[in-house]
Amino acid sequence: MPGTLTPRILLIRTGAAAVLLVLVMLFCSLVGPQTISLKAAIAAPATPVAPNPDYEIFVRIRVPRILLAAFVGLALASAGVVFQALLRNPLADPYILGISSGAGLGVILAIIGGLSWTLWGRSPVAVCAFVGALATVWLVWGIGRITGKYHVTGLLLAGVVVNAFLSAMIMFLTSIAKGQQLYATIFWLMGNITEEDFLVLWVGGGCIVAGAIGLFFLSPQLNIISVGYHDARSVGVPVERIEFAAFAIAAFITAVAVSLSGLIGFVGLIIPHAVRLVFGPDHRQLLPLSGLAGAMFLVVADTIARTIVAPAQLPVGVITAILGGPFFLILLIRYSRKVYWLA
Amino acid sequence: MTPAIQTEHVTFGYGRGRPVLRDVSFEVQAGTFLAVVGPNGAGKSTLINILAGLLKPQSGVVLLEGANLRSSRVQDIARRVAVVRQEFIPVFGFSVMETVLMARTLHYGRLGFESKADKELVMQALELTETVEFASRSLDSLSAGERQRVFLARGLAQDSPILLLDEPTSFLDLKHQVRIYDLLKSVQLEKRTTIVAITHDLNLATQYCEETLLLYPRAGRPAESPSCRLGTTRDILTPEEIERAFDVRVFSSIVGDERFLIPLASRARGSNLSGQASQDSPPRQS
Amino acid sequence: MSKWWLLLAALVLWLAGGYLMLEPRQADAETNTRRLSRPARIVSMAPNLTEILFALELGERIVGVTQDSDYPPAALAKPKVGTFWQPNIEAVIATKPDLVVALAFEQQRDLARRLKRIGYDCLAVEIERIDDLFGAIAAIGKAAEAQDQAQELSNEMKAAIHRLQTATAGLPKVKVLWVVQREPLRVAGRETFVNEMIELAGGENAIGPTLHKYPPIGAEEVIAARPEVIIEPAMLPGALDEQHRQAISYWSRYANLPAVTNGRICVIDGDTVSRLGPRLYLGIEEIAKCLRPELSGE
Repeated sequence: MPGTLTPRILLIRTGAAAVLLVLVMLFCSLVGPQTISLKAAIAAPATPVAPNPDYEIFVRIRVPRILLAAFVGLALASAGVVFQALLRNPLADPYILGISSGAGLGVILAIIGGLSWTLWGRSPVAVCAFVGALATVWLVWGIGRITGKYHVTGLLLAGVVVNAFLSAMIMFLTSIAKGQQLYATIFWLMGNITEEDFLVLWVGGGCIVAGAIGLFFLSPQLNIISVGYHDARSVGVPVERIEFAAFAIAAFITAVAVSLSGLIGFVGLIIPHAVRLVFGPDHRQLLPLSGLAGAMFLVVADTIARTIVAPAQLPVGVITAILGGPFFLILLIRYSRKVYWLA
Repeated sequence: MTPAIQTEHVTFGYGRGRPVLRDVSFEVQAGTFLAVVGPNGAGKSTLINILAGLLKPQSGVVLLEGANLRSSRVQDIARRVAVVRQEFIPVFGFSVMETVLMARTLHYGRLGFESKADKELVMQALELTETVEFASRSLDSLSAGERQRVFLARGLAQDSPILLLDEPTSFLDLKHQVRIYDLLKSVQLEKRTTIVAITHDLNLATQYCEETLLLYPRAGRPAESPSCRLGTTRDILTPEEIERAFDVRVFSSIVGDERFLIPLASRARGSNLSGQASQDSPPRQS
Repeated sequence: MSKWWLLLAALVLWLAGGYLMLEPRQADAETNTRRLSRPARIVSMAPNLTEILFALELGERIVGVTQDSDYPPAALAKPKVGTFWQPNIEAVIATKPDLVVALAFEQQRDLARRLKRIGYDCLAVEIERIDDLFGAIAAIGKAAEAQDQAQELSNEMKAAIHRLQTATAGLPKVKVLWVVQREPLRVAGRETFVNEMIELAGGENAIGPTLHKYPPIGAEEVIAARPEVIIEPAMLPGALDEQHRQAISYWSRYANLPAVTNGRICVIDGDTVSRLGPRLYLGIEEIAKCLRPELSGE
């Protein structure tokens, strides 16, 4: 049977990617503005009497950051694959349907409103981002449904309209924000990876991993859905149900990612394309490999962001854009035979 | 014997105003090759969509192998009927093999992979449509004709007892038109598949399809009359019916068992033939 | 069927893991606060905090400062932990601090939160106004076990400021426009510590109350404000004369302002007037000289 995916090939490729991810994470955790040695770090945990900065830095700063970058990369890349399939549009990314502006609005309202309660010691900004993102996506989905069940154009337009409106509100609020609030908002909007509580990582990461696995189980149907609505219906796929489930899960994990790290662009758009160019469009493979590739990519990008101009830190979104663009260009040129939509 | 397709008093309209299909009632026995003909806008594609369960008629009942379409799940409908439409290039570059495999989505195992039986059906479909040689190529690298055969293979791979086709040969060259109809005929005969094909080529219809469903144009139709008529091709595709449906005169010629229809240019365009075209004029013997 | 059991098991494990993580957190919070009796290793996260620490005679105990901590000169030799805007948490940890002193504004407050979460003792002080400054000095003194020096410093500063105030008491207030940025035009509003310094120096802000602390204003407001003195803090340390020249040529377009007609345009060295620190009275003095050049004998 020429050239199709088998469970064995999928398992091998996913396994290899997972191993590669772990290696990359390990390597990057040892890279940073301070040189630390793994030996010293695992020698002994720090105590008040005998501080061990290597341990502290490794366990409390590096590892949480790496984990967070991996989770966020996994979420954004997986969601990117799903949105591109559902909208049948190679230019779709996880933010296209209003998640970014919804989260941004939630954040700026939280900052300007001066909310001071904390949830498990974390600022309310993250929660407001999450709520804002989900509320907006629900709104866009609702508007899109009105224009017709299988008109993806309607959904896209609803997303554009809602995005524009919310962006205008964000601009307005930004213009009346006081200095510090402004700084905090922009800082959040640019996307950043910092170390988080292990509890937060456990909850957020758990949600993201669960979502990614859920999406994998929908991936065979995503194949035919990405071809066309009628095609999917004729073949027996309950398209509305699958689309709703995929959309909901993808939006959810994106909202979690955005609430943890702000708006990091490029990952959700470029990683699916890069993986598709190399491995083909079969979503059963595209989804897990993109997720792992996204995790790797963001871990590397974050490592570069925090070391290249140390002790200062670039926003990780800058690195994803600078890395992503040329990297994708090279792939495009090498595999240009497989590219069709540029005709 | 339960008919493969049964419609009773089906009426459907897209908005307010005159319905596209009025009081459509017909029966198609299993294993029939049915041609659906009619002028543009008469509702042929609409009828196919209704039979595939994509559109819900405002009134009337549609039964596929005796099961009411309205109460059937999407999965069950797909087990009964497969639809083949006009080819197009999908956004993402799936290969021919991957495309045809998608027809078996319903039957995938727990992890979402095809079984050996699925793969066999797919290979069969590829062989029937003569598309095995480009199984690994992506759809956008094929010609329109090759792509249409791939879409047909996908429909066949679904292995449903009813196959609906919406103009499967409109943009194909002569060779491929005949090949596809040959293929459909052999599928009909070997697997007893019920085939319903919308076609504009009346001569292919007369040669391959035992029965024909003729849909009348909407305008000029008395408001209460049914939209269509089903019968044997020989009875339906007569010059009178064709003129009534298409507002075109045809010259009809019977060769052996087959009737051939040739549309005549209208008098206004300076046709050389004067008077009525004679029916059933015997072929000129040389 | 087995799929659902698997799912349930995964869910239970996940919740259990989360619960386990919740528990030690509370324990951590108690054992890890290393409040030693006398912090021997102090890190400063802002230039004015560095100045305060040195002024409290804690110089030898300082093990890390930000890169922009340039006064006193002894600070330049200390290990660096990032900049005021971009603190480097890893460098902070590497210095094995007993006490980290940071400002309470957003970026630093976030740092303080993170350090506290890891278990470091972190003091975040809010220094937005001159009163805050004295409160901060007291708080730092308490945290570093240097209360006496803190009291002494506060008293010295208050005395110096009082001296300046009495020198200009009773004199009519001079209207000052404090220009932070020329293009687009931004000035210091009334809610800033700059404004406080101006008032202590015997002036008043030419701009009325505004929504922003450092509002952008237009030409209309400038003309309506009719400032008698225009002060610009220096952008670059060595280029006061150059900036003065540019300022004069820029402001000449507002030919009818009292400040312009009387040639009262000043460029002041930035640090003493942009940092709320122990050299506060020096900054106020500079401003007073600008307002009343006759008093200082210039």
